[in-house]
Amino acid sequence: MRKIDKKQADAYFRARTTLVTIYLLIGFSASFGVVMFAEQLSGFKVNGMPFHYFMGAQGAVLTFIILLFVNAIINDRIDKKFGLDQDLKDKE
Amino acid sequence: MDSQFLVSLVMILATFGLYIGIAFYNMARQTSDFYVAGRNVPAVFNGMAIGADWMSAASFIGMAGTVMLLGYDGLAYIMGWTGGYLLLTFLLAPQLRKSGRYTVPEFIGDRYNSSTARLIAAVATIIISFTYSIGQLSGSGVVIGRLLEVPTAVGTIIGVVLIAFYSALGGMKGITWTQVAQYLVLIIAYLIPVIFMSLQLTSNPLPWLSYGQIVGELQQLDQQLGVSEYVVPFTEATKWQFLALMFTLMAGTAGLPHVIVRFYTVSTMKAARWSGAWALLFIGLLYLSAPAYAAFSRFILMTQVAGSSIADLPAWTASWVNTGSLSVADTNGDGILQWEEIVISNDIVVMATPEIANLGVFVIGLMAAGAMAAALSTAGGLMIAISAALSQDIYYRSINPKATERQRLLVGRSSIIIATVAAGIVALDPPGAITQIVAWAFALASGTFFPALILGVWWRRANGPGVIAGMLVGLTVTLAYIFAAKFGGFTILGIIDTGAGVFGATAAILTIIIVSLVTKPPSKETQEEVLDLRYPEGMTYKDGEVWRTDPVKANRPEH
Repeated sequence: MRKIDKKQADAYFRARTTLVTIYLLIGFSASFGVVMFAEQLSGFKVNGMPFHYFMGAQGAVLTFIILLFVNAIINDRIDKKFGLDQDLKDKE
Repeated sequence: MDSQFLVSLVMILATFGLYIGIAFYNMARQTSDFYVAGRNVPAVFNGMAIGADWMSAASFIGMAGTVMLLGYDGLAYIMGWTGGYLLLTFLLAPQLRKSGRYTVPEFIGDRYNSSTARLIAAVATIIISFTYSIGQLSGSGVVIGRLLEVPTAVGTIIGVVLIAFYSALGGMKGITWTQVAQYLVLIIAYLIPVIFMSLQLTSNPLPWLSYGQIVGELQQLDQQLGVSEYVVPFTEATKWQFLALMFTLMAGTAGLPHVIVRFYTVSTMKAARWSGAWALLFIGLLYLSAPAYAAFSRFILMTQVAGSSIADLPAWTASWVNTGSLSVADTNGDGILQWEEIVISNDIVVMATPEIANLGVFVIGLMAAGAMAAALSTAGGLMIAISAALSQDIYYRSINPKATERQRLLVGRSSIIIATVAAGIVALDPPGAITQIVAWAFALASGTFFPALILGVWWRRANGPGVIAGMLVGLTVTLAYIFAAKFGGFTILGIIDTGAGVFGATAAILTIIIVSLVTKPPSKETQEEVLDLRYPEGMTYKDGEVWRTDPVKANRPEH
């Protein structure tokens, strides 16, 4: 156990919180946002369905999946940057 | 006994034999070095196991039927149950993992330093799991009822016996490879019929790309018939109900304890993140297929069944009419079955579709096996959650602290049997469709656990009195709203029983905040522990300083 600079630890916390806020905003716009304006967004078609229906049936779910994978990739990089990479430690 | 019965039974027995076989094979290897070395299940497979844990009779049997009957309004279930993983992964999983408490009552009791809060959380666990399992039992009733061509209620009774037996075997929970096999059976069973239907109707083997065309044709059919259109939003309920239901399902997902445990079974934070991402991908595969299922089934029913002579209906209708879930009465007496005269229960759409589309005995048998896996595995997990809450959190911690292991085991076992039978009695005459019953469980979770957990990890000022008051208020408001909306016809903004969680959660969050602020702040120790949760595993906060620790050495129990 060794002491580390609290500023660095807080930087990690801030980076994570900012990213999480962005992810949630994207996720909520794809779901709650589209539902809010469902009537207005039904005018054009995606994948053969009116847009609001497409988002409910496919778009939102795909967005959620992509967000989780993006989060996993980016967070791995952040961990590496802060020296928290656990796989590397295992090999040492 | 027809050949369909035999084929379905053999498929169900064969798949269950496979799960039990894998479980025994793994148990036998548990002592060997190989097993210990290979303890870290790759994230992809852990994702599949989470998927199998998650997908219950509501997802497998109920969801596509709900989407078919509600049209666009049913999509709240699709987005709600997948979107919950965002809240879970981003707002709760890393912190709960770091806290090292394995059950929700345990976390709440320790975080708020209150055994009363722990007790309330245990009672809430029981109420939620109980409600959830009513949906599972009613699902197994549909499958068994069709299999034996008996009323669904009789099927439910047989399901009760099976589930009690299955749970007594330990539910085969926690054995990752068994669950991987379960997921594979479940998803193959779900996808084969959709792919076949897609080929039949559009000659395209990819239902996800082809059903848009069918949705377009449904629009035209609806216009010709003058019925409410499939894709038009908010025909069944208001926009507020849609939003409330979606919120309820998302918050409930984040508050349901049995999925969170899965994030603990992997050794690193990184593996937990990847497991979650893979899990949503595998769950998404089923959720993306459900609307295709719904569109194809509705199209076949409208074009091939409706319009046929009442005396000349396909054979499958008779077996489903026998279960009491389908009605094809020629109400206007013209000798022809009209679309409006088909009254089909949400819950049988998925199970009946392979028969409607004439997909053959093996596909139908496979569907039965997949559905039984979904219902039994989730019900088993829920029963174990109930027995753990009763025997550990309530009996051992609060009633009889001197209880021996034997006594606790006895309380646990008997609570499984009592809970299964009680849930079975309610499920004999299900108070709603499977998805609806399960939605109540989610409403209760979003009114109790979701606020307690979110504020517990993100707000260090939240304290014991706050959470006790908050959970009680949330539970009361949610229950009262469900009953008032379901039986009293009381609604706000058109939000019905399934959207009750939005009121429960709001009331609970406000109560926790207000009561916490007017009472004493939590101890410095507790506040420091909450601050510590901000930092990832591998960093420890203590007395205003942050220390680097080795996360790999953290002790994790083997599941």
